[in-house]
Amino acid sequence: MSRARTNRRGVVEHQKPPRRAVTRLPAGKRRWTLIAIVWLLPFAAAAWRLQAAPAAAAEPTTPTTNLSGATFNFAPNDPAGEWHSQARDYANTRYSPLHQIDTENVGKLRLAWTFSDGTLHGHEAAPLVVGSTMYLVTPFPDILYALDLTKPGPYIKWSFKPNPSPQAKGKACCDVVNRGMVYANGKIIYNLLDDHTVAVDATTGKQVWRTWMDNLENGATMTMAPFVVGNKVFVGNSGGELGVRGWLAALDVDTGKELWRAYSTGSDKDVLIGADFKPFYSWMKGKDLGIHTWPAGMWKHGGGSSWAWVSYDPDTNLIYYGTSNPSPRVPAQRPGYNLWASTIFARDADTGMARWAYQPTPHDQWDYDAVNENILMDLPINGRKRKVLVHFDRNSYAYTIDRTTGEVLVVAPFADQNWSTGIDMKTGQPIVNKDKEPKPGIKLDHICPTDLGGKDWEPGAASPRTGLVYAGILNICMDLTDHLQGYIPGTPYDGMEMTRHPASGDNLGEFMAWNPATGKKVWAVKEKFMTMSGALATAGDVVFYGTADGWFRAVDARTGKVLWSQKLSSGVIGQPMSYLGPDGRQYVAIYSGIGGAATVRADTTVKGFPAGGGTLYVFSIDGDSIGTVAGMPNNGDGATTPVNRAPGRQ
Amino acid sequence: MRKKIALPVVAALVAALAGCGHSEGGSTAGPPASGLPSSDQIAAVPMGPLAGAADRTALAQSIRNPYAGNAQAVAAGSRLYIRLNCAGCHAYTGKGNMGPNLTDTYWSYGGLPVDVYKSIADGRAQGMPAWGAALPPQDIWKLVAYIQSLGGMYATDLTPRNPQEKERIAPELRGTPQGAPVAADSPAAGSSSP
Amino acid sequence: MSDRCQRVLVVAGLLIAQSGTAQAGPMSYLRTYGPAGNPVTTLGWGLGIISISVCVIIALLLLGAVFRKHKEITGNAEDHLVVHKDGGGMSWIYIGVGISSVVLIGSMIWTLVVTAVVATPATPAALTVQVRASQWWWDLRYDTKTSSRTFTTANEIHIPTGQPVQFVLTSTDVIHSFWVPKLGGKKDIIPGQANVTWLQADVPGIYRGQCAVFCGAEHARMNLLVIAQAPRDFRAWQEAQMEETPAPRSPVAYRGQQVFLAHCAACHTVRGSDAGGLVGPDLTHLMSRRTLAAGVLTNTPGNLAGWIVHPQSIKPDSRMPDQTLSGPQLHAVVTYLETLQ
Repeated sequence: MSRARTNRRGVVEHQKPPRRAVTRLPAGKRRWTLIAIVWLLPFAAAAWRLQAAPAAAAEPTTPTTNLSGATFNFAPNDPAGEWHSQARDYANTRYSPLHQIDTENVGKLRLAWTFSDGTLHGHEAAPLVVGSTMYLVTPFPDILYALDLTKPGPYIKWSFKPNPSPQAKGKACCDVVNRGMVYANGKIIYNLLDDHTVAVDATTGKQVWRTWMDNLENGATMTMAPFVVGNKVFVGNSGGELGVRGWLAALDVDTGKELWRAYSTGSDKDVLIGADFKPFYSWMKGKDLGIHTWPAGMWKHGGGSSWAWVSYDPDTNLIYYGTSNPSPRVPAQRPGYNLWASTIFARDADTGMARWAYQPTPHDQWDYDAVNENILMDLPINGRKRKVLVHFDRNSYAYTIDRTTGEVLVVAPFADQNWSTGIDMKTGQPIVNKDKEPKPGIKLDHICPTDLGGKDWEPGAASPRTGLVYAGILNICMDLTDHLQGYIPGTPYDGMEMTRHPASGDNLGEFMAWNPATGKKVWAVKEKFMTMSGALATAGDVVFYGTADGWFRAVDARTGKVLWSQKLSSGVIGQPMSYLGPDGRQYVAIYSGIGGAATVRADTTVKGFPAGGGTLYVFSIDGDSIGTVAGMPNNGDGATTPVNRAPGRQ
Repeated sequence: MRKKIALPVVAALVAALAGCGHSEGGSTAGPPASGLPSSDQIAAVPMGPLAGAADRTALAQSIRNPYAGNAQAVAAGSRLYIRLNCAGCHAYTGKGNMGPNLTDTYWSYGGLPVDVYKSIADGRAQGMPAWGAALPPQDIWKLVAYIQSLGGMYATDLTPRNPQEKERIAPELRGTPQGAPVAADSPAAGSSSP
Repeated sequence: MSDRCQRVLVVAGLLIAQSGTAQAGPMSYLRTYGPAGNPVTTLGWGLGIISISVCVIIALLLLGAVFRKHKEITGNAEDHLVVHKDGGGMSWIYIGVGISSVVLIGSMIWTLVVTAVVATPATPAALTVQVRASQWWWDLRYDTKTSSRTFTTANEIHIPTGQPVQFVLTSTDVIHSFWVPKLGGKKDIIPGQANVTWLQADVPGIYRGQCAVFCGAEHARMNLLVIAQAPRDFRAWQEAQMEETPAPRSPVAYRGQQVFLAHCAACHTVRGSDAGGLVGPDLTHLMSRRTLAAGVLTNTPGNLAGWIVHPQSIKPDSRMPDQTLSGPQLHAVVTYLETLQ
């Protein structure tokens, strides 16, 4: 009955109870006052805590055990309540230091507000929050929205419609997705499906620059989230299924001018390999291996696109990213290691020159791209603190790699696999199971994992409080028949005919916690469909993720106990993020909109697969937000202060 | 005695040769010129129910795929479907992935044989390449025959709203009428199903 | 009996008489030029000679029996049909069976030894060629340890003399058979499996091969050339094949390339360009080949132009469709193809 409101400076004011209630009360004002004060106390306390917490932004006092001993560098140390890039930090932790929402109160998460962006298809991006503005990017036609978070029911401040070519829709292999944008120097920078990188003024929504990066008619598209270090933005292409030649390029943040471009195949000059290049394993040493590990001329359409994540280590000034499968996907047509496709690269962020490389699956025969995120951390291994990157490869092995040298320190499978019998730690090469090597025209049964891998692009999160890495993984295998494939520009250079089925049991997916120091799974939650959403770890020891059938879940970071679940309108393949609103509340936001590779099981007999969607869901404790009132909200046009419900109301 | 043995041997040989002939799949050899719809006929069919194109349905229905139901042509179409990367977008099952499903009855650009022919030959705006230069009409019709065999295309024998509509089509653009006897030398004569 | 033997003799005589000319024929297997074929040829000749000798000896013995002076039969005729214990010709049967057994067992051992000898080359093959048979042509990929020296060509196999070359045989459609009679025996190519064989030419030259199992309408025109060269010449050829073709220089050739990309590239590959089709032969170094259409036509510009517009008249039912090209388009595309040296 009583309400509290927060003014702009964050001071909570308590309103008088409505008159109707007063008139019904019996006489004895003193007793009423006392009751009222006692009744209001918890509200006031909660309100005070709400104010105090974000200001302090300190680690919560709840004790936890860091199971792996991992420590992190959270550079560029963006404000705790904001989210400037898809992974939030250079190390790709996707860890939010906010802890208003914790394991105790996460069960009270309720819907605060929603936003429909008017598009369907797979929604794979996380929203960004800069100051009091939220930015959203949709799948094709890649519309950018800016929402004003200070207003009740945040509405569109401006939208930017880049109008990419509709031809691009037919060139994208796996739905017309966009994996997000990045904020840098007052600009929102993102990639358009038709091979342009665009920078938009974050305040006005006007285009600052647009750079044409690749040829659509050859099958190249762009879906990855740009990554910014200093005044450079790193972008890469997609199209490993269409025989593109992959690359990663650095553009000037302010002008969009290309500074360097490193191809994934071709001569050392094209791949930006020089005297500094020192791969740990000798089989990756030699001149022009990007040409010599391919049959004559095939490197020109050799794939190796970089369509997912980049991370950066400020100490060594190196960026880390992975490249996609070699093209064509049929291995019989391309004997050799096929460098530098399916490779993890470390490059100098300024010059682009490669420092080391590691190919987890040499001569990739099953479409095991190495594009998945590399999470950087410092980890004690055999009593020594090592600077490592943790990489869940599509080949179902989790690699803990020394990020200064490229040496594999710990490797273990995190999902069912039978394409190899292990990894030779001397050479870093897998021991391939000959029975699972595809031959054109011959059907092979039950190869694990599938072309989507044990884990696809969906990025994991890491927590410095538990030392664990959290990720959605896939529990599927395939029956595979390869077909010889000609190269016809702009059409799939593919040749894999397959049917997919669960690896074991009847669940297609799983959400797991992984100890990167020991290479062991700590806990796992089984999911009906492939778990293809990103993960979010928070200082409240709650980890968030979504499922393909549309459940958004919060689990205990230590035990994996599901603490809260909410069914959304469509499936979740987006990335959850958390921010602090202008009202000082912690919110958790997630896109719902199934699509992308998650739909490959949509036509099977498994029931419960959702229809498409395109809605952002934002949650808070009790669903409170600016403007949540019993009656008509004030739209906050300046005449009156927005009215809030008291936090903590039952 | 000799004759008694010879007869089955010859029969077996003939059967084996005939079998070989079938198993080698289709060829690019064309049917007699009269069997193929003319390019004028095909060009006259508009893409959709446009204003002023009242005769579209009847005209489009009047153009038959000369290879419809011809098992050999369907097999050849299926080979082309895989070798020319159609399967890469529309999937090996034809149920679609990057490109649309070809087994259902939903057609962005029309699901009559001539519509599908035109989509293959001319390409379509959202990624479908044009194959008109690379493939002769026979091969495109064989691809159409294969797609027809997947079961999702429109039937060509719908009763027209107005039976006179067919009569209004200029005689030179009129295709083989439905139900008319098919010339013995046209490829449809070998069809295993109507 | 003697009648049949006479016939055999006549045939053998004809064969011997013809062998002189037959050896000159492109598909003659009576004389071979490498260790994959020589032991078999020797065996063939050997067994032939043995068989003929046996026939001749038996014929002579029969003749002897027929024209021998007969003893008068006296007394009980049946007595003459009884073989007496004291010998009475029994020893001849022992001798006959004994000689026959030795010859037969000897032939069998010889056959087994030869089969074993030709199964694998004496020294491991330095070169592997992946042969992919399709209706009605041959795709050839030269595999080497250095991947970038792996290249694809078609219908014309070059091999170095004096070295065994391994062939891995696969099919994209029906059963074919790989046969180069002057160098070795047939090996069937079965869809869904990879059969392995080897050849070695000791004498430089052009050896003709042929699909040896009926594989459809144009089976007879599924030819193959094996060109055995001195190792140095072979290496030169190999290096040339690995080269990429340069971009066309003249405007006509450039136009020709555009025509090629629009009309031909879905099926044919020209390495170094955007043409990457696999349905038909790789044309990267088309002009280095002696023949067109799997050994059907001599590779001349006129034949090439004719083949492009009317393949169905030259090789009916082949997968190559007749092309509707204008005169200038045809001229341009032939000009372009002529640059693929």
